[in-house]
Amino acid sequence: MYLRFLSNELWKLFGKKRTYMGFAVFVLAQNAMLFAFHFSRWEVQVQRLLESNGHVGSEFISALTVSVVMLIPQALLLMPLFTTLVGGDIVAKEVEDGTMRMILSRPVTRLELLAAKWTAGAVFCVLLAFALGASALVFALCWFPWKGMFVFVPDFVFGVLDSKTGFELYLGSQILCAINAVTMFSLAFMFSCLNVKPAAATILALSFLFFSLVMHELPFFGDYQHWFLPHHFRNWILTYSQPTPWPRIAESLFILFGYNASTFIIGSAVFQSRDFKS
Amino acid sequence: MIDLLGLGKEFSGRTAVENLDLRVRTGDIFGLLGHNGSGKSTSIGMMLGQVWPSRGKAILCGHNVIQSRRNALREVGAIFEAPAFYDYLSGWRNLQILSGYSSDSQPERLKEVLDWVGLTGREKHAVKTYSHGMRTRLALAQALLPKPRLLILDEPSEGLDPEGIHEMRQTILRLRKELGLTILLSSHLLTEVEQLCSRIAVLHQGRKVFDGTVSEAKSSQSCLELRVDRFEDAVKKLYELALIASHSNNAVILAGGIGSDRVVKQLVQDGFAVHEARMREKTLEDFYMELVQKQRQNSN
Repeated sequence: MYLRFLSNELWKLFGKKRTYMGFAVFVLAQNAMLFAFHFSRWEVQVQRLLESNGHVGSEFISALTVSVVMLIPQALLLMPLFTTLVGGDIVAKEVEDGTMRMILSRPVTRLELLAAKWTAGAVFCVLLAFALGASALVFALCWFPWKGMFVFVPDFVFGVLDSKTGFELYLGSQILCAINAVTMFSLAFMFSCLNVKPAAATILALSFLFFSLVMHELPFFGDYQHWFLPHHFRNWILTYSQPTPWPRIAESLFILFGYNASTFIIGSAVFQSRDFKS
Repeated sequence: MIDLLGLGKEFSGRTAVENLDLRVRTGDIFGLLGHNGSGKSTSIGMMLGQVWPSRGKAILCGHNVIQSRRNALREVGAIFEAPAFYDYLSGWRNLQILSGYSSDSQPERLKEVLDWVGLTGREKHAVKTYSHGMRTRLALAQALLPKPRLLILDEPSEGLDPEGIHEMRQTILRLRKELGLTILLSSHLLTEVEQLCSRIAVLHQGRKVFDGTVSEAKSSQSCLELRVDRFEDAVKKLYELALIASHSNNAVILAGGIGSDRVVKQLVQDGFAVHEARMREKTLEDFYMELVQKQRQNSN
Protein backbone atom coordinates (compact mmCIF):
# COMPACT_ATOMS: atom_id res chain seq x y z
CA MET A 1 0.00 0.00 0.00
CA TYR A 2 2.84 2.36 0.89
CA LEU A 3 4.40 1.70 -2.51
CA ARG A 4 1.11 2.65 -4.18
CA PHE A 5 1.08 5.94 -2.26
CA LEU A 6 4.71 6.52 -3.21
CA SER A 7 3.97 5.80 -6.85
CA ASN A 8 1.14 8.39 -6.70
CA GLU A 9 3.50 10.98 -5.26
CA LEU A 10 6.16 10.25 -7.88
CA TRP A 11 3.61 10.66 -10.67
CA LYS A 12 2.55 13.99 -9.27
CA LEU A 13 6.10 15.20 -8.74
CA PHE A 14 7.58 14.12 -12.05
CA GLY A 15 4.45 15.08 -14.01
CA LYS A 16 5.19 18.75 -13.30
CA LYS A 17 7.43 20.66 -15.68
CA ARG A 18 8.96 22.76 -12.90
CA THR A 19 10.40 19.61 -11.33
CA TYR A 20 12.81 19.42 -14.27
CA MET A 21 13.88 23.05 -14.00
CA GLY A 22 16.74 22.08 -11.65
CA PHE A 23 18.09 19.48 -14.06
CA ALA A 24 17.97 21.92 -16.99
CA VAL A 25 19.66 24.74 -15.07
CA PHE A 26 22.45 22.42 -13.92
CA VAL A 27 23.17 21.33 -17.49
CA LEU A 28 23.29 24.93 -18.70
CA ALA A 29 25.45 26.08 -15.79
CA GLN A 30 27.91 23.22 -16.26
CA ASN A 31 28.38 23.92 -19.95
CA ALA A 32 28.84 27.63 -19.30
CA MET A 33 31.50 26.83 -16.70
CA LEU A 34 33.26 24.36 -18.97
CA PHE A 35 33.37 26.98 -21.68
CA ALA A 36 34.97 29.41 -19.23
CA PHE A 37 37.49 26.81 -18.03
CA HIS A 38 38.53 25.94 -21.55
CA PHE A 39 39.10 29.47 -22.73
CA SER A 40 40.55 31.03 -19.56
CA ARG A 41 43.94 30.86 -17.80
CA TRP A 42 42.52 28.44 -15.23
CA GLU A 43 44.62 25.52 -16.50
CA VAL A 44 47.88 27.46 -16.22
CA GLN A 45 47.11 28.53 -12.65
CA VAL A 46 46.23 25.00 -11.55
CA GLN A 47 49.36 23.62 -13.22
CA ARG A 48 51.53 26.15 -11.36
CA LEU A 49 49.86 25.28 -8.04
CA LEU A 50 50.46 21.57 -8.57
CA GLU A 51 54.05 22.03 -9.74
CA SER A 52 54.88 24.25 -6.74
CA ASN A 53 53.78 21.26 -4.61
CA GLY A 54 55.96 18.78 -6.50
CA HIS A 55 53.41 17.24 -8.89
CA VAL A 56 53.36 17.03 -12.68
CA GLY A 57 50.66 19.61 -13.36
CA SER A 58 49.57 18.41 -16.79
CA GLU A 59 48.69 14.96 -15.38
CA PHE A 60 45.90 16.42 -13.26
CA ILE A 61 44.19 18.83 -15.66
CA SER A 62 41.42 16.33 -16.24
CA ALA A 63 37.69 15.76 -16.50
CA LEU A 64 37.58 14.53 -12.89
CA THR A 65 39.30 17.67 -11.58
CA VAL A 66 37.04 19.96 -13.58
CA SER A 67 33.92 18.06 -12.48
CA VAL A 68 34.63 18.63 -8.80
CA VAL A 69 35.47 22.29 -9.37
CA MET A 70 32.13 22.70 -11.14
CA LEU A 71 30.20 20.87 -8.43
CA ILE A 72 31.37 23.08 -5.55
CA PRO A 73 29.40 26.27 -6.42
CA GLN A 74 26.46 24.27 -7.77
CA ALA A 75 26.15 22.23 -4.59
CA LEU A 76 26.45 25.41 -2.54
CA LEU A 77 24.00 27.66 -4.41
CA LEU A 78 21.89 25.87 -7.00
CA MET A 79 21.13 22.67 -5.13
CA PRO A 80 19.48 24.43 -2.14
CA LEU A 81 17.39 26.45 -4.55
CA PHE A 82 15.92 23.49 -6.43
CA THR A 83 15.53 21.13 -3.49
CA THR A 84 13.73 23.74 -1.38
CA LEU A 85 11.56 24.67 -4.36
CA VAL A 86 10.30 21.10 -4.54
CA GLY A 87 10.15 20.74 -0.74
CA GLY A 88 8.19 23.97 -0.31
CA ASP A 89 5.63 22.86 -2.89
CA ILE A 90 5.18 19.28 -1.87
CA VAL A 91 2.54 19.77 0.84
CA ALA A 92 1.62 23.45 0.78
CA LYS A 93 0.82 23.49 -2.96
CA GLU A 94 -1.65 20.65 -2.55
CA VAL A 95 -3.33 22.46 0.32
CA GLU A 96 -3.44 25.68 -1.70
CA ASP A 97 -4.84 23.98 -4.82
CA GLY A 98 -7.46 22.02 -2.88
CA THR A 99 -6.23 18.57 -3.90
CA MET A 100 -5.26 17.86 -0.29
CA ARG A 101 -8.95 17.81 0.68
CA MET A 102 -9.62 15.32 -2.12
CA ILE A 103 -6.87 13.06 -0.77
CA LEU A 104 -7.91 13.45 2.85
CA SER A 105 -11.42 12.27 2.04
CA ARG A 106 -9.77 8.89 1.29
CA PRO A 107 -8.97 6.17 3.82
CA VAL A 108 -5.35 7.23 4.13
CA THR A 109 -3.77 8.53 7.34
CA ARG A 110 -1.94 11.82 7.35
CA LEU A 111 1.26 10.17 8.49
CA GLU A 112 1.17 7.65 5.61
CA LEU A 113 0.58 10.48 3.18
CA LEU A 114 3.47 12.56 4.52
CA ALA A 115 5.81 9.56 4.60
CA ALA A 116 5.05 8.92 0.91
CA LYS A 117 5.53 12.59 0.07
CA TRP A 118 8.83 12.80 1.93
CA THR A 119 10.12 9.65 0.22
CA ALA A 120 9.12 10.97 -3.20
CA GLY A 121 10.98 14.20 -2.44
CA ALA A 122 14.02 12.22 -1.29
CA VAL A 123 13.93 10.23 -4.56
CA PHE A 124 13.94 13.53 -6.46
CA CYS A 125 16.93 14.78 -4.43
CA VAL A 126 18.93 11.61 -5.01
CA LEU A 127 18.21 11.74 -8.75
CA LEU A 128 19.10 15.42 -8.87
CA ALA A 129 22.41 14.87 -7.07
CA PHE A 130 23.35 11.89 -9.23
CA ALA A 131 22.30 13.64 -12.43
CA LEU A 132 24.35 16.64 -11.39
CA GLY A 133 27.42 14.48 -10.77
CA ALA A 134 26.96 12.40 -13.91
CA SER A 135 26.34 15.33 -16.23
CA ALA A 136 29.33 17.24 -14.78
CA LEU A 137 31.60 14.32 -15.56
CA VAL A 138 30.12 13.55 -18.98
CA PHE A 139 30.32 17.17 -20.16
CA ALA A 140 33.81 17.57 -18.69
CA LEU A 141 34.93 14.51 -20.67
CA CYS A 142 33.92 16.29 -23.87
CA TRP A 143 36.52 18.99 -23.15
CA PHE A 144 39.16 17.43 -20.88
CA PRO A 145 41.02 14.09 -20.83
CA TRP A 146 40.63 11.20 -18.37
CA LYS A 147 43.63 11.62 -16.05
CA GLY A 148 44.39 11.99 -12.34
CA MET A 149 42.27 14.09 -9.99
CA PHE A 150 43.22 17.24 -8.11
CA VAL A 151 40.91 18.77 -5.52
CA PHE A 152 41.84 21.98 -3.76
CA VAL A 153 39.78 23.98 -1.29
CA PRO A 154 41.97 26.54 0.55
CA ASP A 155 42.64 25.63 4.21
CA PHE A 156 40.43 22.57 3.89
CA VAL A 157 41.27 19.97 1.23
CA PHE A 158 44.32 19.33 -0.89
CA GLY A 159 43.90 16.01 -2.68
CA VAL A 160 46.02 14.60 -5.49
CA LEU A 161 44.66 11.23 -6.62
CA ASP A 162 45.12 8.76 -9.45
CA SER A 163 42.16 8.47 -11.84
CA LYS A 164 40.85 5.14 -10.39
CA THR A 165 40.84 6.33 -6.76
CA GLY A 166 39.53 9.73 -7.83
CA PHE A 167 36.64 8.19 -9.72
CA GLU A 168 35.73 5.91 -6.79
CA LEU A 169 35.74 8.86 -4.40
CA TYR A 170 33.77 10.91 -6.93
CA LEU A 171 31.05 8.24 -6.91
CA GLY A 172 31.09 8.10 -3.10
CA SER A 173 30.89 11.88 -2.80
CA GLN A 174 27.73 11.87 -4.92
CA ILE A 175 26.01 9.80 -2.22
CA LEU A 176 27.00 12.40 0.37
CA CYS A 177 25.84 15.16 -1.96
CA ALA A 178 22.49 13.38 -2.24
CA ILE A 179 22.20 13.25 1.57
CA ASN A 180 22.84 17.00 1.68
CA ALA A 181 20.14 17.54 -0.92
CA VAL A 182 17.67 15.43 1.07
CA THR A 183 18.42 17.46 4.22
CA MET A 184 17.76 20.74 2.37
CA PHE A 185 14.54 19.27 1.01
CA SER A 186 13.48 18.08 4.49
CA LEU A 187 13.82 21.57 5.85
CA ALA A 188 11.51 22.98 3.16
CA PHE A 189 9.19 19.99 3.65
CA MET A 190 8.82 20.90 7.33
CA PHE A 191 7.88 24.50 6.48
CA SER A 192 5.53 23.20 3.79
CA CYS A 193 3.57 21.31 6.46
CA LEU A 194 2.80 24.58 8.27
CA ASN A 195 -0.16 26.74 7.33
CA VAL A 196 1.83 28.79 4.79
CA LYS A 197 1.89 29.34 1.03
CA PRO A 198 4.33 27.19 -1.02
CA ALA A 199 6.53 30.18 -1.86
CA ALA A 200 6.72 31.12 1.82
CA ALA A 201 7.84 27.58 2.72
CA THR A 202 10.61 27.74 0.10
CA ILE A 203 11.73 31.20 1.22
CA LEU A 204 11.77 30.17 4.89
CA ALA A 205 13.93 27.14 4.11
CA LEU A 206 16.31 29.13 1.90
CA SER A 207 16.57 31.86 4.52
CA PHE A 208 17.44 29.28 7.16
CA LEU A 209 20.10 27.74 4.90
CA PHE A 210 21.67 31.04 3.84
CA PHE A 211 21.58 32.38 7.39
CA SER A 212 23.38 29.22 8.53
CA LEU A 213 25.92 29.72 5.75
CA VAL A 214 26.56 33.33 6.77
CA MET A 215 26.94 32.37 10.43
CA HIS A 216 29.20 29.49 9.47
CA GLU A 217 31.48 31.72 7.42
CA LEU A 218 31.80 34.51 10.01
CA PRO A 219 35.23 34.24 11.62
CA PHE A 220 33.82 35.27 15.02
CA PHE A 221 31.82 32.05 15.22
CA GLY A 222 34.72 29.76 14.38
CA ASP A 223 34.26 27.77 17.58
CA TYR A 224 30.59 27.14 16.83
CA GLN A 225 30.88 26.07 13.18
CA HIS A 226 29.72 22.56 13.93
CA TRP A 227 26.35 23.97 15.05
CA PHE A 228 25.57 25.07 11.52
CA LEU A 229 24.37 22.86 8.66
CA PRO A 230 26.97 24.00 6.06
CA HIS A 231 29.69 22.54 8.29
CA HIS A 232 28.11 19.11 7.83
CA PHE A 233 27.30 19.69 4.16
CA ARG A 234 31.08 19.76 3.53
CA ASN A 235 31.18 16.00 3.93
CA TRP A 236 31.22 15.32 0.24
CA ILE A 237 34.29 17.44 -0.42
CA LEU A 238 36.05 15.98 2.62
CA THR A 239 36.06 12.57 0.94
CA TYR A 240 38.88 13.86 -1.30
CA SER A 241 41.16 14.65 1.67
CA GLN A 242 44.10 12.33 2.04
CA PRO A 243 43.66 10.39 4.26
CA THR A 244 39.85 10.60 4.25
CA PRO A 245 38.61 11.72 7.70
CA TRP A 246 35.94 9.01 8.09
CA PRO A 247 35.14 9.68 11.79
CA ARG A 248 34.42 13.33 11.00
CA ILE A 249 32.26 12.29 8.03
CA ALA A 250 30.38 9.74 10.15
CA GLU A 251 29.73 12.33 12.85
CA SER A 252 28.30 14.77 10.30
CA LEU A 253 26.17 12.03 8.77
CA PHE A 254 24.60 11.26 12.16
CA ILE A 255 23.83 14.94 12.63
CA LEU A 256 22.27 15.19 9.17
CA PHE A 257 20.12 12.11 9.86
CA GLY A 258 19.06 13.77 13.12
CA TYR A 259 18.15 16.94 11.21
CA ASN A 260 16.08 14.94 8.74
CA ALA A 261 14.26 13.04 11.48
CA SER A 262 13.60 16.24 13.46
CA THR A 263 12.23 18.19 10.50
CA PHE A 264 10.00 15.27 9.50
CA ILE A 265 8.66 14.83 13.05
CA ILE A 266 8.01 18.56 13.52
CA GLY A 267 6.39 18.85 10.08
CA SER A 268 4.14 15.84 10.55
CA ALA A 269 3.16 16.88 14.09
CA VAL A 270 2.00 20.27 12.80
CA PHE A 271 0.28 18.72 9.77
CA GLN A 272 -1.45 16.18 12.00
CA SER A 273 -2.96 18.92 14.16
CA ARG A 274 -4.26 21.02 11.27
CA ASP A 275 -7.86 21.37 10.09
CA PHE A 276 -8.48 21.30 6.35
CA LYS A 277 -11.52 23.05 4.99
CA SER A 278 -12.29 25.36 2.11
CA MET B 1 -24.88 5.17 7.61
CA ILE B 2 -23.88 8.47 9.25
CA ASP B 3 -24.24 9.11 12.97
CA LEU B 4 -23.05 12.38 14.41
CA LEU B 5 -23.16 12.38 18.19
CA GLY B 6 -22.79 15.68 20.02
CA LEU B 7 -20.31 16.89 17.42
CA GLY B 8 -18.82 20.31 18.09
CA LYS B 9 -16.02 22.46 16.74
CA GLU B 10 -14.50 25.73 17.82
CA PHE B 11 -12.01 27.79 15.85
CA SER B 12 -10.01 30.14 18.10
CA GLY B 13 -12.84 30.40 20.61
CA ARG B 14 -15.54 30.90 17.95
CA THR B 15 -18.13 28.13 17.80
CA ALA B 16 -18.48 26.79 14.25
CA VAL B 17 -20.61 23.72 15.08
CA GLU B 18 -22.43 23.20 18.36
CA ASN B 19 -23.52 19.87 19.75
CA LEU B 20 -24.68 18.42 16.43
CA ASP B 21 -26.64 15.17 16.47
CA LEU B 22 -27.55 13.81 13.08
CA ARG B 23 -28.49 10.46 11.64
CA VAL B 24 -28.52 9.59 7.94
CA ARG B 25 -30.14 6.24 7.28
CA THR B 26 -29.16 3.79 4.55
CA GLY B 27 -30.78 4.69 1.23
CA ASP B 28 -31.57 8.30 2.18
CA ILE B 29 -30.76 11.33 0.10
CA PHE B 30 -30.21 13.67 2.99
CA GLY B 31 -30.02 17.44 2.51
CA LEU B 32 -27.87 19.62 4.72
CA LEU B 33 -29.02 23.22 4.50
CA GLY B 34 -27.75 26.47 5.89
CA HIS B 35 -26.40 29.82 4.81
CA ASN B 36 -22.68 30.55 4.38
CA GLY B 37 -20.84 30.04 7.66
CA SER B 38 -23.66 27.99 9.20
CA GLY B 39 -21.31 25.06 9.79
CA LYS B 40 -22.16 22.75 6.86
CA SER B 41 -18.65 22.43 5.46
CA THR B 42 -17.12 22.14 8.94
CA SER B 43 -19.55 19.32 9.72
CA ILE B 44 -18.66 17.56 6.48
CA GLY B 45 -14.96 18.14 7.24
CA MET B 46 -15.42 16.43 10.61
CA MET B 47 -17.26 13.51 8.99
CA LEU B 48 -14.30 12.98 6.65
CA GLY B 49 -11.64 13.44 9.33
CA GLN B 50 -10.32 16.63 7.71
CA VAL B 51 -11.36 18.78 10.65
CA TRP B 52 -10.72 17.63 14.22
CA PRO B 53 -13.86 17.81 16.34
CA SER B 54 -13.56 19.72 19.63
CA ARG B 55 -16.08 17.29 21.10
CA GLY B 56 -18.40 14.47 20.11
CA LYS B 57 -17.87 11.84 17.47
CA ALA B 58 -18.67 11.09 13.84
CA ILE B 59 -19.50 7.51 12.91
CA LEU B 60 -19.55 6.55 9.24
CA CYS B 61 -20.52 3.07 8.05
CA GLY B 62 -20.37 1.90 11.68
CA HIS B 63 -16.83 3.15 12.39
CA ASN B 64 -15.57 6.14 14.30
CA VAL B 65 -13.79 8.39 11.80
CA ILE B 66 -11.10 9.48 14.25
CA GLN B 67 -10.36 6.10 15.79
CA SER B 68 -10.82 3.92 12.72
CA ARG B 69 -10.36 6.21 9.76
CA ARG B 70 -9.48 3.49 7.25
CA ASN B 71 -12.61 1.43 7.94
CA ALA B 72 -14.87 4.45 8.23
CA LEU B 73 -13.87 5.94 4.87
CA ARG B 74 -13.30 2.72 2.91
CA GLU B 75 -16.73 2.86 1.28
CA VAL B 76 -17.19 6.62 1.17
CA GLY B 77 -16.87 8.91 -1.83
CA ALA B 78 -16.83 12.71 -1.59
CA ILE B 79 -17.07 15.71 -3.87
CA PHE B 80 -16.39 19.29 -2.85
CA GLU B 81 -17.37 22.57 -4.44
CA ALA B 82 -14.86 23.64 -7.11
CA PRO B 83 -13.29 20.18 -7.51
CA ALA B 84 -9.49 20.34 -7.55
CA PHE B 85 -7.24 18.11 -9.66
CA TYR B 86 -3.69 17.86 -10.90
CA ASP B 87 -4.35 19.98 -13.97
CA TYR B 88 -1.10 19.06 -15.72
CA LEU B 89 -2.02 15.35 -15.69
CA SER B 90 -4.68 13.56 -17.72
CA GLY B 91 -8.10 12.72 -16.34
CA TRP B 92 -7.13 9.05 -16.41
CA ARG B 93 -3.95 9.63 -14.39
CA ASN B 94 -5.86 11.79 -11.90
CA LEU B 95 -8.30 8.96 -11.34
CA GLN B 96 -5.48 6.48 -10.92
CA ILE B 97 -3.78 8.72 -8.36
CA LEU B 98 -6.87 9.56 -6.34
CA SER B 99 -8.21 6.02 -6.34
CA GLY B 100 -4.75 4.81 -5.34
CA TYR B 101 -5.37 6.21 -1.86
CA SER B 102 -8.36 3.89 -1.41
CA SER B 103 -7.52 0.74 -3.32
CA ASP B 104 -5.75 -0.24 -6.49
CA SER B 105 -8.44 0.33 -9.12
CA GLN B 106 -8.16 -1.84 -12.21
CA PRO B 107 -8.29 -0.20 -15.68
CA GLU B 108 -11.65 -1.91 -16.32
CA ARG B 109 -13.12 -0.19 -13.28
CA LEU B 110 -11.74 3.17 -14.41
CA LYS B 111 -13.28 2.69 -17.85
CA GLU B 112 -16.59 1.66 -16.32
CA VAL B 113 -16.75 4.75 -14.12
CA LEU B 114 -15.64 7.10 -16.92
CA ASP B 115 -18.38 5.65 -19.06
CA TRP B 116 -20.88 6.11 -16.26
CA VAL B 117 -20.12 9.83 -15.92
CA GLY B 118 -19.86 10.34 -19.68
CA LEU B 119 -16.17 11.22 -19.96
CA THR B 120 -15.11 8.37 -22.22
CA GLY B 121 -12.92 9.72 -25.03
CA ARG B 122 -11.60 12.65 -23.01
CA GLU B 123 -9.79 10.67 -20.33
CA LYS B 124 -6.35 11.00 -21.94
CA HIS B 125 -6.56 14.79 -22.20
CA ALA B 126 -4.97 17.03 -19.56
CA VAL B 127 -7.48 18.17 -16.95
CA LYS B 128 -6.51 21.80 -17.61
CA THR B 129 -8.43 21.49 -20.90
CA TYR B 130 -11.65 20.39 -19.14
CA SER B 131 -14.69 22.63 -18.69
CA HIS B 132 -16.18 23.15 -15.23
CA GLY B 133 -18.88 20.59 -16.00
CA MET B 134 -16.31 18.01 -17.06
CA ARG B 135 -14.32 18.61 -13.90
CA THR B 136 -17.45 18.01 -11.85
CA ARG B 137 -18.03 14.75 -13.73
CA LEU B 138 -14.42 13.76 -13.12
CA ALA B 139 -14.92 14.53 -9.43
CA LEU B 140 -17.93 12.25 -9.45
CA ALA B 141 -15.90 9.55 -11.20
CA GLN B 142 -13.16 9.68 -8.53
CA ALA B 143 -15.80 9.49 -5.81
CA LEU B 144 -17.38 6.42 -7.43
CA LEU B 145 -14.15 4.50 -8.04
CA PRO B 146 -13.87 2.78 -4.65
CA LYS B 147 -17.45 1.46 -5.09
CA PRO B 148 -18.82 3.55 -2.22
CA ARG B 149 -21.98 2.92 -0.24
CA LEU B 150 -22.07 6.52 0.96
CA LEU B 151 -21.54 9.63 -1.12
CA ILE B 152 -20.95 13.03 0.47
CA LEU B 153 -21.60 15.93 -1.89
CA ASP B 154 -20.59 19.38 -0.65
CA GLU B 155 -22.17 21.98 -2.96
CA PRO B 156 -21.81 19.79 -6.07
CA SER B 157 -23.71 22.24 -8.31
CA GLU B 158 -21.57 25.25 -7.35
CA GLY B 159 -20.50 27.12 -10.49
CA LEU B 160 -22.51 24.96 -12.91
CA ASP B 161 -24.78 26.48 -15.56
CA PRO B 162 -28.54 25.63 -15.48
CA GLU B 163 -27.99 22.70 -17.84
CA GLY B 164 -25.15 21.44 -15.65
CA ILE B 165 -27.31 21.77 -12.53
CA HIS B 166 -30.08 19.78 -14.20
CA GLU B 167 -27.58 17.14 -15.30
CA MET B 168 -26.15 16.89 -11.78
CA ARG B 169 -29.64 16.48 -10.34
CA GLN B 170 -30.41 13.65 -12.75
CA THR B 171 -27.07 12.04 -11.95
CA ILE B 172 -27.76 12.11 -8.21
CA LEU B 173 -31.12 10.44 -8.77
CA ARG B 174 -29.44 7.81 -10.98
CA LEU B 175 -26.85 7.19 -8.30
CA ARG B 176 -29.49 6.22 -5.81
CA LYS B 177 -31.65 4.32 -8.28
CA GLU B 178 -28.96 2.37 -10.13
CA LEU B 179 -26.23 2.08 -7.50
CA GLY B 180 -28.37 2.22 -4.34
CA LEU B 181 -26.13 4.82 -2.72
CA THR B 182 -26.86 6.75 0.43
CA ILE B 183 -26.21 10.43 -0.28
CA LEU B 184 -25.54 13.40 1.96
CA LEU B 185 -26.02 16.58 -0.05
CA SER B 186 -25.03 20.01 1.16
CA SER B 187 -26.43 22.72 -1.06
CA HIS B 188 -27.59 26.33 -1.26
CA LEU B 189 -30.05 25.44 -4.00
CA LEU B 190 -33.27 24.88 -2.11
CA THR B 191 -35.24 23.80 -5.18
CA GLU B 192 -32.58 21.18 -5.86
CA VAL B 193 -32.76 19.89 -2.31
CA GLU B 194 -36.56 19.88 -2.45
CA GLN B 195 -36.54 17.77 -5.59
CA LEU B 196 -33.88 15.35 -4.46
CA CYS B 197 -33.94 14.85 -0.72
CA SER B 198 -36.14 12.71 1.44
CA ARG B 199 -34.87 14.20 4.69
CA ILE B 200 -33.19 17.48 5.56
CA ALA B 201 -31.43 19.18 8.42
CA VAL B 202 -31.02 22.94 8.67
CA LEU B 203 -28.01 24.48 10.38
CA HIS B 204 -27.99 28.05 11.65
CA GLN B 205 -24.93 29.58 13.31
CA GLY B 206 -23.54 26.12 13.95
CA ARG B 207 -26.70 24.75 15.56
CA LYS B 208 -29.21 22.33 14.08
CA VAL B 209 -32.57 24.10 13.96
CA PHE B 210 -34.54 21.49 12.00
CA ASP B 211 -34.25 17.80 11.28
CA GLY B 212 -37.02 15.93 9.52
CA THR B 213 -38.57 14.97 6.21
CA VAL B 214 -39.14 17.49 3.45
CA SER B 215 -42.92 16.94 3.68
CA GLU B 216 -42.84 17.66 7.42
CA ALA B 217 -40.99 20.87 6.69
CA LYS B 218 -43.47 21.95 4.04
CA SER B 219 -46.66 21.04 5.89
CA SER B 220 -45.92 22.71 9.20
CA GLN B 221 -47.66 25.98 8.37
CA SER B 222 -49.86 27.62 5.72
CA CYS B 223 -48.50 29.74 2.92
CA LEU B 224 -50.53 32.53 1.35
CA GLU B 225 -49.46 33.90 -2.00
CA LEU B 226 -50.38 37.57 -2.21
CA ARG B 227 -50.53 40.01 -5.14
CA VAL B 228 -50.96 43.32 -3.45
CA ASP B 229 -49.85 46.90 -4.07
CA ARG B 230 -46.95 47.97 -1.83
CA PHE B 231 -46.17 44.40 -0.81
CA GLU B 232 -43.35 45.37 1.58
CA ASP B 233 -45.57 47.85 3.46
CA ALA B 234 -48.33 45.27 3.65
CA VAL B 235 -45.95 42.70 5.08
CA LYS B 236 -44.69 45.20 7.64
CA LYS B 237 -48.24 45.86 8.78
CA LEU B 238 -49.00 42.13 9.04
CA TYR B 239 -45.89 41.59 11.14
CA GLU B 240 -46.96 44.40 13.49
CA LEU B 241 -50.27 42.68 14.03
CA ALA B 242 -48.56 39.27 14.46
CA LEU B 243 -50.64 37.79 11.65
CA ILE B 244 -47.69 36.26 9.78
CA ALA B 245 -44.60 34.32 10.84
CA SER B 246 -42.40 35.15 7.87
CA HIS B 247 -42.41 36.08 4.20
CA SER B 248 -40.53 35.40 0.99
CA ASN B 249 -40.97 36.95 -2.46
CA ASN B 250 -44.74 37.36 -2.88
CA ALA B 251 -45.81 34.91 -0.21
CA VAL B 252 -46.39 35.06 3.54
CA ILE B 253 -46.40 32.27 6.09
CA LEU B 254 -49.39 32.65 8.34
CA ALA B 255 -48.92 32.74 12.09
CA GLY B 256 -50.44 29.87 14.10
CA GLY B 257 -54.26 29.93 14.20
CA ILE B 258 -54.53 32.69 11.61
CA GLY B 259 -56.63 32.09 8.47
CA SER B 260 -56.19 33.65 5.05
CA ASP B 261 -59.55 35.47 5.37
CA ARG B 262 -58.29 37.34 8.42
CA VAL B 263 -55.18 38.53 6.59
CA VAL B 264 -57.05 39.66 3.49
CA LYS B 265 -59.68 41.44 5.59
CA GLN B 266 -56.99 43.30 7.54
CA LEU B 267 -55.18 44.37 4.38
CA VAL B 268 -58.37 45.70 2.81
CA GLN B 269 -59.23 47.54 6.02
CA ASP B 270 -55.81 49.15 5.97
CA GLY B 271 -56.32 50.35 2.42
CA PHE B 272 -54.12 47.93 0.50
CA ALA B 273 -55.43 46.90 -2.92
CA VAL B 274 -55.47 43.09 -2.85
CA HIS B 275 -55.49 41.78 -6.45
CA GLU B 276 -55.00 38.11 -5.66
CA ALA B 277 -54.75 35.92 -2.56
CA ARG B 278 -54.16 32.21 -2.99
CA MET B 279 -53.28 29.48 -0.52
CA ARG B 280 -50.56 27.23 -1.83
CA GLU B 281 -48.36 24.44 -0.57
CA LYS B 282 -45.34 25.83 1.16
CA THR B 283 -42.07 25.41 -0.71
CA LEU B 284 -38.86 24.45 0.98
CA GLU B 285 -37.68 27.99 0.34
CA ASP B 286 -40.68 29.37 2.29
CA PHE B 287 -39.92 26.98 5.11
CA TYR B 288 -36.23 27.80 5.12
CA MET B 289 -36.75 31.57 5.09
CA GLU B 290 -39.29 31.30 7.86
CA LEU B 291 -36.95 29.19 9.96
CA VAL B 292 -33.97 31.47 9.46
CA GLN B 293 -35.96 34.62 10.20
CA LYS B 294 -37.31 33.01 13.36
CA GLN B 295 -33.77 32.12 14.44
CA ARG B 296 -32.58 35.65 13.79
CA GLN B 297 -35.47 37.08 15.84
CA ASN B 298 -34.64 34.68 18.67
CA SER B 299 -30.97 35.64 18.66
CA ASN B 300 -31.88 39.36 18.75
